[in-house]
Amino acid sequence: MKFSTKGRYGLRAMVDLAVHAKGEHVALFSIAERQGISTNYLEQVFSLLRKSGLVKSVKGAQGGYILAESPADIKVGRILRALEGPLSVIDENAESSGGNETNIQQCIRMCVWDKMNEALNDLADSLTLEDLVDSYWKLAGVEDSMYYI
Amino acid sequence: MKISTKGRYGLEALVDLAIHSSEGHVNLKSISERCGMSEAYILQIFLILRRSGIVESIRGAQGGYILAKDPSEITVGDVLTALEGPLAPVACVAEKSEHTCDRYGNCETRGFWESVMNTMNDVANSITLDDLVECYNSIANQTSEIEYYI
Repeated sequence: MKFSTKGRYGLRAMVDLAVHAKGEHVALFSIAERQGISTNYLEQVFSLLRKSGLVKSVKGAQGGYILAESPADIKVGRILRALEGPLSVIDENAESSGGNETNIQQCIRMCVWDKMNEALNDLADSLTLEDLVDSYWKLAGVEDSMYYI
Repeated sequence: MKISTKGRYGLEALVDLAIHSSEGHVNLKSISERCGMSEAYILQIFLILRRSGIVESIRGAQGGYILAKDPSEITVGDVLTALEGPLAPVACVAEKSEHTCDRYGNCETRGFWESVMNTMNDVANSITLDDLVECYNSIANQTSEIEYYI
């Protein structure tokens, strides 16, 4: 049970953008450099994020990306759904092929998969990009103080 | 983040075993027929479940499989973890190892992935095989009347 690299890298790239934006556009290659992700791959990721209205792009030499909303208004669940599709532990296409669900499949769906999906979505929607940015600064703070030791 | 067919089919076959084990040992052929899965695949799954102490096998003509414990003592978490490994959304939280990523000690998203794993475990560990059998029985009671009339 794993999230794809799109979800993992996309989430980190969004935190990077939020941290470094400071009201200005951020070039993809600078995010790519800091995060150790290829610019090509980030382009795919940001094209999905843009389609979902999470980031805005500006073309040109000074262009780049900026968050479309304040980090406090962007739920982690929205970012992951934009990149991964619906957050579900089950491949919806593989399951219940054409409504021929058996009784056992039905009870597993209701008692297990639906509950896991609900918990997963609730958790992802309880956290915002701002919370992750806070974690970033906390980690950065720990690093700073470590340099002084 | 998806549960593989091994986890999905395994849970299904195990619920089938739990439902039918009141009749003694259940052979794989009958599970395979009822669940519409190949016998070879179920065998592969049951070998893993046996190693994890979830089912026991009996050899011989009247042989087959039986649950190793009471259904109320087997959680969905036990079954999925046996078949899938840790219910982890990313490798670094499954192995708790810095070898999985060079940003392991300095990642602002790892905390979130850890809580996803903990939440998935909490949900899976709170559901027992007995709960699923009970759910099955209540569904079967509702539908049996309709099926007889068709």
